[in-house]
Amino acid sequence: MLQQQVRSPDYLFFEAEKKKHFLSGSEAVREAIRKANVDVAISYPITPQSESMHLVGDLFAEGYVKEYFRGENEFAVMSSVSGAAMAGVRVFTATGGPGTMRAFEMFPVWAGSRLPIVCAFLTRGINSPLTIQPDTIEMAFLLETGMLMLHAETAQDLHDMLLKAFIVAEKTEVHLPVGVFADGFFVTHTKEILQIPDADSKLPPYDPHCAPVPPMDMESVPVRQMRDPFVMKSNFISYAAHASWQQEIEAAQERSRKHLERYLGGLVETEHEDAEVLLITSGTAVSQSREAMRLCRQEGLSVGLVKIKSIRPFPSDELRRLAAGKYAVIVPELNRVGWLAKELKARVDDPRRVIGAPRVFGGMTMPAHLIVDEIRRVLQ
Amino acid sequence: MTEKMSIRMSGLGGQGVVTAAHILGMAAYKDDLQVTVNPFFGAEKRLAPAESYVRIAQEPIYERGEILYPSLIMVFHPHVITMGKSYTMPFFDGLEAGGTIIINSASALDLSEEERDNLAKLDAQVHYVPASEVAMGVSGTHLSTNIAMLGALYRIQQRPSLDALESAMVERFGGSKFVASGSTAALDDAVKEKFAKVSQMIEKNLEVIEKAGESMFQQTH
Amino acid sequence: MSTRIVSIAPAFEDVMPKEYKELVENGPYGKDYKVTDLGKYKELIEEHPLCAGCGLALSLRLVLGSLPSPEDTVIVGSTGCSALVFPQVGLHNVHSLFGNQNAVASGIKRALSLRFPDQVKDVVVVAGDGATADIGLDMVMQSWFRREKIATIMLDNEAYANTGGQESGMSMEGTVMNMAPKGKVFPKADLPKVAEAAGCAYVAAASPSRPGKLGKVVRRAILIAREVGPTYVQLLSPCPTNFKTKPSDTVVTIKAREKEKRFKQYEYISDDARSFLSALEDGKRSEGKQPEGKQS
Ligand SMILES: Cc1ncc(C[n+]2csc(CCOP(=O)(O)OP(=O)(O)O)c2C)c(N)n1
Ligand code: SF4
Ligand SMILES: [Mg+2]
Repeated sequence: MLQQQVRSPDYLFFEAEKKKHFLSGSEAVREAIRKANVDVAISYPITPQSESMHLVGDLFAEGYVKEYFRGENEFAVMSSVSGAAMAGVRVFTATGGPGTMRAFEMFPVWAGSRLPIVCAFLTRGINSPLTIQPDTIEMAFLLETGMLMLHAETAQDLHDMLLKAFIVAEKTEVHLPVGVFADGFFVTHTKEILQIPDADSKLPPYDPHCAPVPPMDMESVPVRQMRDPFVMKSNFISYAAHASWQQEIEAAQERSRKHLERYLGGLVETEHEDAEVLLITSGTAVSQSREAMRLCRQEGLSVGLVKIKSIRPFPSDELRRLAAGKYAVIVPELNRVGWLAKELKARVDDPRRVIGAPRVFGGMTMPAHLIVDEIRRVLQ
Repeated sequence: MTEKMSIRMSGLGGQGVVTAAHILGMAAYKDDLQVTVNPFFGAEKRLAPAESYVRIAQEPIYERGEILYPSLIMVFHPHVITMGKSYTMPFFDGLEAGGTIIINSASALDLSEEERDNLAKLDAQVHYVPASEVAMGVSGTHLSTNIAMLGALYRIQQRPSLDALESAMVERFGGSKFVASGSTAALDDAVKEKFAKVSQMIEKNLEVIEKAGESMFQQTH
Repeated sequence: MSTRIVSIAPAFEDVMPKEYKELVENGPYGKDYKVTDLGKYKELIEEHPLCAGCGLALSLRLVLGSLPSPEDTVIVGSTGCSALVFPQVGLHNVHSLFGNQNAVASGIKRALSLRFPDQVKDVVVVAGDGATADIGLDMVMQSWFRREKIATIMLDNEAYANTGGQESGMSMEGTVMNMAPKGKVFPKADLPKVAEAAGCAYVAAASPSRPGKLGKVVRRAILIAREVGPTYVQLLSPCPTNFKTKPSDTVVTIKAREKEKRFKQYEYISDDARSFLSALEDGKRSEGKQPEGKQS
């Protein structure tokens, strides 16, 4: 194990010298976690996530992660990481697809308990029919769980977003779980070139006293809250408690914006934003859209691109401004339901201009020419 | 190198199709080229169809996932063609006009008339290499068939460089703990067992590359 | 937890509720009270919203009165009647979901061991029979398989009481209940035997009809979990509301069950646990007042 020095997040994110590496997405997860000063990581196998948590296991064996074990199923894993987070340590886990669905009951509890858990969702399709291939449909289900949701396009994004996720998650005014999403296989199993800082630096440790709710460690006064819990009767107090608590979670999400803007350099990234037609999407659909944009611009078509990096909080204002006055907004997605197109339609001034196509799901890549076809069809 | 190389490797699970792609990709990376590598997206099972994809270029590469329009197709086992052991049918589906095909077989395959017609229309360059025989002959194990296939590719493309291929192999087999996937890691151990020393293995592999290049022959349509 | 943490800053003395002052001045933190001391001090729980005569309430009071180190105990509950009690228990306690209590507890225990390597931190699960033997059984057993150092206590009222008296795996065979309209068709699950086979170092069945015994097994379970491995205690705690017995007859009900040989006390102690216990008890005899099993 390398001797590691604790450095400020800003140093690791902005100042540290970066070196070129050729890594798969799973290895990018390992390199992020190596520098993340994680206390407890809990794993459970599911393709295409397993390699990532194998590698985190190696980090445990080497001493970079203090505690690690394989849980019994995803619901239990998400429960165990919540216990560890409640008891005041930094935790990491990962899952995807059916694992996400199996664990689902826990996700709103994470946010509701204000736990700064970082989870990598390495997405895949959901049965039936049986599939293990790339698909982002699970993100549709997670939109309203209270967690922050970042969507990586590349292994580079995955590495950077994971590290930054811990720091945003743990801000006292945020203190919420962060899901870092990357499209299974397209990112996890693809080897590509990354620029990352050396592992001789690591993030500062988690400080449990930054939590807005006290850690469960019997090191602070155990408050007797009430004799008759809210659940016993529907009444105004019960409503008021839930209303204020749930709105506070929403507010905490809002308060994460400024941190995400600073660390991610904005919730969106644009290229040729003045073009007549904009491709707006997230994840690896952005990569395919880049190629489509390149092909179209070679032909002289006016096409631009918006990459959405944060799904929760959603960059509503940015997107409303960018979409305004466009001839068309095309939203390619790697899922059947088109959740991103729906999100956009609900926010732009002229939803009729938003075209939710093409959609590819259940197992294959999105050919760039499908996007090109859609652009041509719209422009005709 | 000016052209972008989009390589589709098709073979059977256990033949090292994914490993070959990683070595090739790593070599391209060492030659300072832009490169992405990914395996097919599915359950890995021995002798079931397996594919991997390598994109190499001088310009940034955006697209991800399986390569639908390859400029180069490498067939690691004749069964990919003769027994339909492939997710991509016919085996040259999507090949760019003038594209290259390298097939592991000691003798030219008996392709159907339709297949030959289509290959002719595409002006496909069809090469054969007795990769399994070369692997067995030189290193005494069919496990370096994938390296022989890389030898054939090197013979045609001369890219990535031989030096880069060598250092990619050292990195891959030399104890650096790369995990492509659970099953591939298990396969690595099997390969390593066959060789007393990694250096000996690399040496043999370089010989495999050379011999494979020398034993290639072409099929006309 | 140092008792300094609960003590009241002088400036706040006049505004702190009487209830809290009593807990600080006369509570169980840092003391070594046993079940026999109940009534002499300010308890961790006094009022609760459970039904009159509830067996769970009885058991809970005794469990909370038997904790060897209340000042360093975190309780993990589960959805069910007993969950309604915890908001007013004077300990850090977690309610997460229905059935995941042992998974949550595993995480808490691991984290506390990292953060407080040289300090006692007891993690005690207290959950219903539905939570333990049905919906959460996999996580309960898996925590035993993994040898998590937590004590698991089941409050066994032989029903899903909170949702209106449905059959659970712990209900007696033949009992007609909601969702078992023709009577339960399979026997009560033998969870103590399962616990033994799954790797628990200590297993016991008891009931509030014998408070001294209950206190002893709970205490042993927590101390053994601290040092040796997972432990399991099953407390028969009848539900007068759903079984339509008189609230004042709860203990009578248990005694009747014992008489009919449909319930018996039980204790299994593994070899490791036994040598730990005898070392502990010898040590206590020679050292006099040293609280048992305390390290810090
Ligand atoms: C996932 C889920 N399923 C069902 C319920 C409904 N539920 C709440 S409490 C309960 C019964 C609890 O039974 P038990 O664990 O025996 O505790 P008791 O109420 O009997 O003390 C049920 C079924 C729930 N809260 N969550
Ligand atoms: S329903 Fe039964 S178990 Fe629940 S509080 Fe009432 S008596 Fe107790
Ligand atoms: Mg019950």
